[in-house]
Amino acid sequence: MIAGLAWTVSALALVAMCWGLLTAVLDKPPGKAQLLYAAGLELVVVVQSVIALVRLGTGFRPVELATTIGYLVGIVVLVPVAWFWANSERTRFSGVVLAIAAAAVAAMTFRLLVLWVPR
Amino acid sequence: MSSVREPEPTPPRTSSGPGRALVAVYGLFALAATSRGVTQLVTQYAEAPLAYVLSLVAGIVYVVATVTLARGTATSRRVALVAVSVELVGVLAVGTLSLVDPAAFPRATVWSAYGIGYGFVPLVLPVLGLLWLRRTRPQPAGSSATSE
Repeated sequence: MIAGLAWTVSALALVAMCWGLLTAVLDKPPGKAQLLYAAGLELVVVVQSVIALVRLGTGFRPVELATTIGYLVGIVVLVPVAWFWANSERTRFSGVVLAIAAAAVAAMTFRLLVLWVPR
Repeated sequence: MSSVREPEPTPPRTSSGPGRALVAVYGLFALAATSRGVTQLVTQYAEAPLAYVLSLVAGIVYVVATVTLARGTATSRRVALVAVSVELVGVLAVGTLSLVDPAAFPRATVWSAYGIGYGFVPLVLPVLGLLWLRRTRPQPAGSSATSE
């Protein structure tokens, strides 16, 4: 984990969450820019997980190795699944679905930062 | 008033409208609780077997609720009702036990202290699930026609 990258992911995710809640309040399905933004968030999340997994592969050992790996893999799944679920029925609630995934990405990134302590 | 009888609005499927967001939260907890349970059981079973088995049970309940709510057929509604009820009983029982007898739960589960580690979402979720199942229950045939 790189603290700067993790904070960037968290900030991007919190913006995605607010954006999702905003379109829900406005009673609109997510727009194109919003979906592209979610894709961008996913890209940064993937980069973060790859970097962290490479560092695990090259010898870094956090205290809770299994949990850390679980978080690094799980966090990558959230946005794509939410994207599919949000788009298969496009209503105001699509934005809520994206917001839930984004909030989970932010929460899991915080948790990863805490977990990333050498043994 | 008009003599034309308004068709009763059909209740939304469990996977539709707000149900979309509900299924998303259930899916999130299915992922979180199941992977937590599996990881803990595989890596540190001896530390707190009861807590870890409960984590896994909670995860399975969330998986069943997610799938059945997302499907929304008559059969899956019944299964969802059972899963969500088990979830409510589980979070209340484990939540209470973890406070009354902390020694039995040396390691936290999703349901410890009513889900305090997850912002009490585990406590609110089954209530929302039951309300949503009630809201979306199919109208018995012909019952609406004789409402006057």
